[in-house]
Amino acid sequence: MRDMQLLIIDDEERFVKTTKALLERKGVRTHVATNGADAMQVFEKERVDVVVLDIKMPGLDGIETLRVIKKRYPLVEVIMLTGHASPETAVEGMSLGAFDYLMKPCDVEKLLEKAEAAYEKKSAQAEKARKEKIDKIISDPLEALKKG
Amino acid sequence: MDKQVRKMILVRVLLVPFLIVLAVYGTLVYYFSAYAARQVRAELVRVADDHRTLVDRFLEERVADLRFIVSSYDMETLQDPHRLTRIFRNLQTASNAFFDLGVFDAGGKHLAYVGPYDLTGKDYGQEPWFVAVRDKGIFISDEFLGYRNIPHFIIVMRKQEAGNDWYIRTTIDTFAFNDLVENIRIGKTGEAYLVNTKGVFQSDRRSGGRLMATDPDFDSYVLDRDAVSFFSIRPVDGKKFVYAAGPLKQAGWVMVVRQTAADAYADLTFAVIISLIMIIGGGAVVLVMGFVQASAIAGRLKLADMEKQQMKTQLVIAGKLAEVGEMSTGLAHEINNPLQVMKSELAMINEVVSDISDRHGGYDPKEFEVLNESILQIAIQIERCAKITQGLLRFARKSEIALQPVDIGTFIPEVVDMVEQRAGVENIRIIQELQDGVPPVMSDPNQLQQVFLNLFNNALYALKGKTGAEIRIRSLREGDDLVITVADNGCGIAPEDMEKIYLPFFTTKPVGQGTGLGLSTVYGIIEGLGGSITVESEVNAGTVFTIRLPIGRT
Repeated sequence: MRDMQLLIIDDEERFVKTTKALLERKGVRTHVATNGADAMQVFEKERVDVVVLDIKMPGLDGIETLRVIKKRYPLVEVIMLTGHASPETAVEGMSLGAFDYLMKPCDVEKLLEKAEAAYEKKSAQAEKARKEKIDKIISDPLEALKKG
Repeated sequence: MDKQVRKMILVRVLLVPFLIVLAVYGTLVYYFSAYAARQVRAELVRVADDHRTLVDRFLEERVADLRFIVSSYDMETLQDPHRLTRIFRNLQTASNAFFDLGVFDAGGKHLAYVGPYDLTGKDYGQEPWFVAVRDKGIFISDEFLGYRNIPHFIIVMRKQEAGNDWYIRTTIDTFAFNDLVENIRIGKTGEAYLVNTKGVFQSDRRSGGRLMATDPDFDSYVLDRDAVSFFSIRPVDGKKFVYAAGPLKQAGWVMVVRQTAADAYADLTFAVIISLIMIIGGGAVVLVMGFVQASAIAGRLKLADMEKQQMKTQLVIAGKLAEVGEMSTGLAHEINNPLQVMKSELAMINEVVSDISDRHGGYDPKEFEVLNESILQIAIQIERCAKITQGLLRFARKSEIALQPVDIGTFIPEVVDMVEQRAGVENIRIIQELQDGVPPVMSDPNQLQQVFLNLFNNALYALKGKTGAEIRIRSLREGDDLVITVADNGCGIAPEDMEKIYLPFFTTKPVGQGTGLGLSTVYGIIEGLGGSITVESEVNAGTVFTIRLPIGRT
């Protein structure tokens, strides 16, 4: 799992900096962003497998960011990090495609555990998609060539 | 305060209408009395009038009888004793009031007489009656004694016969006449009698007054010339009389009818007294009942007031809790973020310290021990903060999650199991009295578990060190509600704390042992489930929490 790449999005600078340092000590490649726009920029430059996203208060851009990510990069798994764990937000997040959620304050170990589980899922999904593609090419090569 | 209310009700609702009714009643009684009095008066006047007419008629008839004789017979005939006697007997068949009969000459000498006395030959020329009849032709005398020395009155008539006047005279039987006058029944004390214009009795008066005596009260009589007058005079011998008196036409007498005022107005007085008794009696009953009612109403008002106060207090508590609830979500969130930063920084410190201690094995391990201790402590405290914010969030949560049917009969024993061991260790008995056949309630089992665990834990804490400690859990159905009580005989809750127990962060436990969020959470959960929770407690006696939950919410 060590080739997993993580992106932490949270507006607490100190938190993202220290968490990145802790994770990289453990050998996990970690990117950080303190807002939605910066996060999108990271996506364009790097390959991101799992996102840890701070939801903050309901109605602010945490959920919006989740929506955008899932729309543009549907295979990326998102773990919600929240300071107030209301069931409404959790349900909303899950329905929008979040993998799971964590309550603040959480241990780095717990965070890593969840991220690895998310990465596993992502890998399995990617594998499945690849297989489907190959099956398609085999069954109808002409179509596949046309689509390119 | 309720004395004032009572007084106000009494005055406004009771006294004023009562006084009005009293006034109406009083007016009625007054007018009725006046009317009745007039009736009494009219009656007495009528009786007097009728009676005087009776006597007048009698005298008229006697005069007519005499006139007949005088026009039928001449003096010669009448002087003959035998003839006179026969005529007299005839006269007596007409009326037995004729006592005797006499004939007189123009000078007043008694020529012939039939009667019990020996009066023939006597000379009456100077007698006042003779003088009067010589003048007037017909004369009815007052009662007088005369030669016979016995009270009597006479009717005399003059006959003018060819230049020679003669007179015929008859005595009217006093007894018969008296009877005629006296014989009348008016109430119990009513009597009739005759007086002349000077107040001398012309008949006996039943209640006291002999014939020919003078009526001592005559001067006070109010008499009219023709009509019957009605009057009363000042009390005589302690008795007050009412009079109806009217003059006779045939003689110069006055028919007087009188009755004691008490007797005359007896019926009226009776009616008025009955009315008064009824007013007073009825009024007393009304007053007493009114007083009782007013007290009851005042009491009810006071109770309603008290309930209103209680509800106000509850509203205030609920409001405060809601406010705190609003605050706490934001608060929890605000605190969780710094906690997260602290946690990650601490993790970093830990890593670096590990590195250093690994690298510099030669250094004094004890130094690192202290450092590691501190790091551990910080971690613990961060956890403690985290638990508090979590508790706060749980308390603030208003949502109803996953309602499902919960059978209290099996649910409670499960929760009791969780604390059974702890209770056993502290020698605390747990008694469960769960009513059979209670239908399940629609509820959230997790939240309910939280509620009961909290109550049980509180009870266990209150029973620390108590002998004969027990927790009694009861459940039963009351109408549409399920009622569950958790009672302990522990240290109880002080009265000044009762208002505060549901407030977040309020605790009587020593620092670090309780968050003070238990009952706040319980309150929020029960309210959120549509139920209610109340508590009764007495210091050193025990505490009872009563939870009501609606069965079968739709």
